[in-house]
Amino acid sequence: MNNRSCCNPQMQRRATKNFGLLQLAGFVLLACATCLAGDAPQWLHAQSNVTLPAYDDKTDAVLLYSETEVTVVSVDKIKTTVREAYKILRPNGRSRGTVHVAFNPQQKVKSLHGWCIPAQGKDYEVKDKDAIEASLSLEGAELISDVKYKQLQIPASEPGNIVGYEYELEDHPFFLQDEWVFQGRDPVRESHYSLQLPQGWEFKTSWVNRAEVSSSQAGNNRWQWALSDVKAIRNEPAMPPIEGVMGQMIVTFFAPGGKTGFAAWDDMGRWYSALLAGRIDATPEIKQQVATVTSGKATQLANMEAIAKFVQSDIRYVAIELGVGGFQPHPAAEVFAHRYGDCKDKATLTRSMLREIGVESFHVVINTERGAVTMETPAHHGFNHAIVAVKLPEGIKDSSLVATMQDPKLGRLMFFDPTDEMTPFGQIRGALQANYGLLVTPDGGELIRLPQQPSEMNSIERTAKLTLDGQGTLMGEVKEVRLGERASSERWALRTVNKDQDRIKPIEALLASALPSYRITKAQVINLSRTDQPFGFDYSFQSTGYAKNAGGLLLVRPRVLGNKGYGFLETKEPRNFPIELEAPARDIDSFEITIPAGYVVDDIPPPVDADYGFASYHSKTEIKGNVIDYTRTFEVKELSVPVSRADDLKKFYRIIAGDERNTVVLKAVGQ
Amino acid sequence: MSSGRGSSHLSVRALLVLVIALLLLCSVVLPVRASAGIGFQPVNPDELKMKSEPEAPGAPAIILFREVDRNDDRYMPHEDNYLRIKILTEEGRNFANVELGFEKGLENIVNVHGRTIRADGSIVEFDGRVFEKSVVKGRRGTAFLVKAFTLPSVEVGSIIEYFYTVDLKEHYVFNSRWILSQDLFTKDARFTLKPYSSPYNEFHLRWTWQLLPQSAQPKQGPNGVVEMTAHNIAAFQTEDFMPPENELKARVDFIYEEEQPGSDPDKFWKTIGKKRNSALESFVGKRKTMDEAVAQIVLATDTPEQKLRKIYSRVQQIRNTSYEIRKTEQEEKRDKEKAIANVEDIWKRGYGDGMQLTWLFLALARAAGFEAHGCWVSDRRQYFFHRNLMESGQLDANVVQVKLDGKDVYFDPGGAFTPFGMLTWSETGVVGLRLDADGGTWIQTTIPQASESQIRRDAKLKLSDTGDLEGRLTVTYTGLEAMYRRLEQRHEDDTARKKYLEDSIKEQIPAAAELELTNKPDWTSTGTPLVAVLDLKIPGWASGAGKRALLPVGFFTAHEKNIFEHTNRVYPIYFEYPYQKIDDVTVDLPPGWKVGSVPPQKTQDSNVVLYDMKVEGGKGTVNVVRKLNVDIVLVDVKYYAALRNFFQIVRTGDEQQILLQPSDATASN
Repeated sequence: MNNRSCCNPQMQRRATKNFGLLQLAGFVLLACATCLAGDAPQWLHAQSNVTLPAYDDKTDAVLLYSETEVTVVSVDKIKTTVREAYKILRPNGRSRGTVHVAFNPQQKVKSLHGWCIPAQGKDYEVKDKDAIEASLSLEGAELISDVKYKQLQIPASEPGNIVGYEYELEDHPFFLQDEWVFQGRDPVRESHYSLQLPQGWEFKTSWVNRAEVSSSQAGNNRWQWALSDVKAIRNEPAMPPIEGVMGQMIVTFFAPGGKTGFAAWDDMGRWYSALLAGRIDATPEIKQQVATVTSGKATQLANMEAIAKFVQSDIRYVAIELGVGGFQPHPAAEVFAHRYGDCKDKATLTRSMLREIGVESFHVVINTERGAVTMETPAHHGFNHAIVAVKLPEGIKDSSLVATMQDPKLGRLMFFDPTDEMTPFGQIRGALQANYGLLVTPDGGELIRLPQQPSEMNSIERTAKLTLDGQGTLMGEVKEVRLGERASSERWALRTVNKDQDRIKPIEALLASALPSYRITKAQVINLSRTDQPFGFDYSFQSTGYAKNAGGLLLVRPRVLGNKGYGFLETKEPRNFPIELEAPARDIDSFEITIPAGYVVDDIPPPVDADYGFASYHSKTEIKGNVIDYTRTFEVKELSVPVSRADDLKKFYRIIAGDERNTVVLKAVGQ
Repeated sequence: MSSGRGSSHLSVRALLVLVIALLLLCSVVLPVRASAGIGFQPVNPDELKMKSEPEAPGAPAIILFREVDRNDDRYMPHEDNYLRIKILTEEGRNFANVELGFEKGLENIVNVHGRTIRADGSIVEFDGRVFEKSVVKGRRGTAFLVKAFTLPSVEVGSIIEYFYTVDLKEHYVFNSRWILSQDLFTKDARFTLKPYSSPYNEFHLRWTWQLLPQSAQPKQGPNGVVEMTAHNIAAFQTEDFMPPENELKARVDFIYEEEQPGSDPDKFWKTIGKKRNSALESFVGKRKTMDEAVAQIVLATDTPEQKLRKIYSRVQQIRNTSYEIRKTEQEEKRDKEKAIANVEDIWKRGYGDGMQLTWLFLALARAAGFEAHGCWVSDRRQYFFHRNLMESGQLDANVVQVKLDGKDVYFDPGGAFTPFGMLTWSETGVVGLRLDADGGTWIQTTIPQASESQIRRDAKLKLSDTGDLEGRLTVTYTGLEAMYRRLEQRHEDDTARKKYLEDSIKEQIPAAAELELTNKPDWTSTGTPLVAVLDLKIPGWASGAGKRALLPVGFFTAHEKNIFEHTNRVYPIYFEYPYQKIDDVTVDLPPGWKVGSVPPQKTQDSNVVLYDMKVEGGKGTVNVVRKLNVDIVLVDVKYYAALRNFFQIVRTGDEQQILLQPSDATASN
C-alpha cells in the first residue's frame, strides 16, 4: 500500500511566512529580475547574514528559512509553493543541495528553481530544465507505481555556502488535508506556513510532538503560523520511527457542504470504506475456490485457516499502484483471477472469501513501523500497510489464536496479515503488535491498538546434550524449536536459498559466531514450510579447541551458543529517544556438558538474576554428577524502554554479556 | 532475473521489425531450427510433472529453455528473447515479475507476450499490461527506463513463458554479449547472432568466450550466423571474497572493429603498444620545461632515491581533478579550466587528472636522469587481463616503471594517497605493457608484501577489579591500509573522520566498547602512517570463574570471528591485497590479583598465511602480542578448506584466556 503523503524528507513542505500580498508581489518581481541575472532571489539573499541557531559540531546544515504557502483553490485543486534555504556547515551537508520533489499523476510540478550563494563569487542558479526525473521505487516494494520525483542538483553545495530552492506544486487531492513538517534532521532557524482558503471554507489543525502554536490572520481567509529555533532530530539506534517523533501540524480543510478532510479517524474510516465499496464481492470462481479449500473441514476455524492459508500462499505479493490505487484495493475478483495483489488486495480477497463462509471481517490500515502512529496521532494518512480484522464467530476458542482483542461494538476481533506468509493464522508479527491501526467498518472507523502477544509465543528453545573431551573438543547434539517471529525470520531467510546444501547456512552462521571452530556432522531443518508447526533446527557438531587449557586447568564456557546482549548503548552520547524492542520474546537455553573423565569441577560462575520489568534474564550453572548443566531464560516483556531507563537497559545488556563470557573451571582429579 | 516488455500497443515500426524479423527467420534461420521465430512452445507433459531438477537441487525455479536471437541488421537491428521457466517453489513465483532496463533512444522493448501454463496444463494468457518506469530521465533527452510486467496465475508447478524483442536503433552497430550464467539454473539455451553487414562500412565481428559449459562453443555457419547451444548452466551466486563477477560468469562477448581482426595477439599488442607510446611521448615530450621543473624540486646532492621521492611528493601536491567532488556543468563553465594537452600544461596550470599526473611524474623522472618508462596495465577491479582476447581496453591504468638503484620499481602518483613505491591495489600483480617505440614489452607489476600494508594496534590498559578494561590505544595504519582510509575520508571533516575511526575500530572489538579519539591524525600525507590515538573502555571484559577471573586475549579480533563461516565454497577466494595485523596489548592487573596461567604460544605458519599469539605474564601485568599475515591475493577453491581451517585456528587462538587469581591465593595449578 502506498502512503501518498510520505515523500522524500528533502521535499517535506514547510511553513510560509506572514507576508502581505504586496510583499509577495514584490518578491515575484524581484525574483524575476534577479533570475535574469542568474542571482539568487531576495528571500534567499536575506538569509546570508542571519545569526545561526545554536548547533554542535555534528550538525551538517541549518535550515535557515522555510516557507510553505498553501492555496486551496477548490476541492480539486491545491497549490503549494515551498521555499527553503540551508546553510551547509559540514561535508555531510552537501546533500542539502540535492532537491527532490515527489509527484504523481494527480500532482504537477509547475516550477522548480535552485540557487547557491557561495561564500565567495557569484550566485548560481538552476531551473526545471536542469532537473532529472525518475520513478520512486523501493526495493522489494511495488512492481509498478506512478510516483516519480524530480531531482535538481544545486551547484557548489559545499560547506560555508547557502543553498536554496523554490518549487510550486499543483495537486488534485484525493482528500483535503495537508501536513506541515517543521522538524527534521537539521536545526531550523525559522519556519513558516500559510494557508489561503476559498470563501466559506474552514480548517482544523492538529499538532503532533509540539504544543499548539496559534495562527494569525493574514488577510481574507488567510492564516499563517511561524516557528523558530526548532531542534534537530538526530538518529539513534533503535529509536522510534521519525514520523512518531518529529514535530508536524496536520491541517484539515472543510469545504462548505462538500468534500472534506479527516476531522477524526471516523472520517478517514468512512473515506476508506467508500473506496472498498463493492470490492469484496465474490465471483462464482471465488465462491468455487472457497468451496474447494474448505471442503472436508470440520470446523469454522478450520475453514478460516484454509482460506487464510490460500491467500497467504497462493496469491503472490505484487503491487501495481496507479492513481488512487495507492489507497484503493483492486476488486477481489481481479486479485483472484490474477492470483496476485498487494497488501490491501490480499486483505480484500481474504475478506471476500471469509464472507462466503459467513465470517465478517474488516480492513485495518496500519504502519509497519510501530510508533509512527500513536494514540495521540490525529487522523491522517500515516499508514503504509493493510491487514484484516476477523470477527471471530461465537464459540471459537482456540489457544493458538492470540492476536485478538475485544471490541466493544464488534465483539472479539482477530488480526491476520495475509501478506505475511510466514506468520500463522492467529498471530501477527512483532512490528504490528501494540501498534495502532485504523479499523475500517462500513459506517466509519476507529483507531485501535492491536494486541501484544505473550512473550512465550515468540521463542527459541535450544537444548543441547554435549560432551567434552580432555583435549577441549566439544561435541554433541542441539535441538532448536522456534515459535513466532523467531521461526518466521528463519523461514524468511531460507526462502531464497537456491540449493539444498545452503539450507544449513543459518546453523553455520550461528556456530561460527559462538565457536572457535566447528564441523557439522548432521543438520536438519524441521517444518520449513509448515507454518502452523514450530520451526526447528536439529544438528550435531564437533568443535575442537572449545575448552582451553590454562595451567593444567580446563576452561569451559557453559553458554555454548547464542548471543542476547547488544552494545549500541555503549556510547557517551546522551540518549534522547526511547529504545524500541522488536517483539515480546522468551528464549530458553538448556545446555548439558558432560565433562571428561579425570576432571572435576573446581569453579562455577554465579547465577544471574536480572529483572528490570521491561525484560529479564536468569541464568544458572549447576553441576549434576559429571555434567555441567547451564540454563538461562531471556525474556522481553515490554516493547518500548523509556529514555529514563536507558541506563537500566545498558546495565541489563552488560549483565548478559558478562554471563555469556562466564567460565566453568575444571581441574584434573588429584590436582 | 531481468527481462522486459513492450508497449501494449505495438508501433508500426515495431510491427515492421517483427514482420521483417519473422521473414528473416523464415528465410535464414528456419532451416536450422523451426522454432527460432520465438513463439510459445508446445506444452511438454514431462515438464509439467517436474517437481525438481537433479542438477539444481533446492532451486526455486529453473530456466527450461532460453533463446536469444540477435540480428545486427543494418536497418532493423533487434534481439528476440524467449524464456520458459519452471516454478518449483513458492519463492520461485517471483520470477513471474519481470523488469527490463533499456536506454531510450538507443533501444526499446516491444512485442511482449507471455502466458502461464498451470500445473494441470491449463493456460492463462498474459493480458499485455506492460508498464514503463523511468529510472532516470535527464537533460537532452537521455533516459534509462524499465519495462515491467507480471504474469498471472502463477503457482508452484506452473511453467511461465514470455518473449519480447529488443528493438535497437537503426544505423547503429552495437557490441553485444551472451551472458549464460543467470540467477537460475538453465537447462537448455540457444543463441544466434546475425552479424552486421554493409557495402558502405567495413565492420568486422570477432567474439571471445569464457567458462562455457562443456560442448558449448560459438560457431559461425555458412550463412554467417554465429550459433551456440548450451545445457545445464549453473545458477550464478555471490560469495564473500570472490573475484570480479565478470570473471566467473559463462559468457560470449561480440565486438565489432573497423579493422580486420588478426589472429596473432603479439602483432595486435605491438600495434597497440606503438600507438600508445606515440601518444605518450607526445604528451610528455616537453623536456625543457621538465628540466626547469626538476631543478626546482631536487638538489644535485640528493641521492637517487631522495630525488625520486621529492619528485613523487611534488607531483602528489598538484591538484588531482580525478579525486575531486564532481562539479556541475555550471561550475565547470565558470572555472574555465582548459583541457590539458601535455605535461607542460599540468606544470604551468597546476592541475591534472590522475592519469596525467602519473605521466608528469614520468616526464620529471626522466628529466632527473632516471631510466623511466610509461606502462599501461590491466586494472583487476572488474576483469582480469586476457592477452589472447586482444581487447586494447583491458589495458586501462597507467603506471611508471623507474630503475632505482638497479631495481624496477612501479609508481602511480596519480592515484591519490598512494605511498611512494606502491600502487593502488587493483594495479598490483597485474600484467601490463611497458611502452616503447617498438610496441613495448610485457611486464608484471609487483604485489606488496603483507608487512607493507599494516594495521598495528598498541594498547596500554588497566583492568579494574570489576573486570573493565580502560586505557590508551594507538592504531597505526601503513601502506595500502592507510591509503584507503585517507582516500575514503578525503572529502570529510574532522568530526566525520573521528567518528569513522572510532566506529571502525570499535567494530574490531568483539564486545561492546567505548572509544574516543584524542589526537588529530594526519589525513593529508601519503608518506607517513595514519595514526589514531584513542581512549578505550571495554566494560566487563574479564569474566568471573568463581574465585578466579579470566581475561580473553583476543582484543581486536572481531573481523576474523566471522570470516569463512560456511563449509561449502563455489568460487576462488580473492583478497584485494596482502595485509598484516599486529596487536601489542599490555594490561595492568588490579591490585590483589596476579596471573595464574597464560595460554601457550600458538603459531600457525601456513606459508602464505601466518598467525602467532604470544602471551606473557609478569608481576601484575600481562602482555599479549598477536600477529596475522595474509600474504595472498587469489586462492584456488580447492584450498578453501585449508584456508578456512587456518582461520578456525586463528579463532581458537583468539579465544584463549589468561587465568587470573587473587594474589594471596595458593594456587593449586
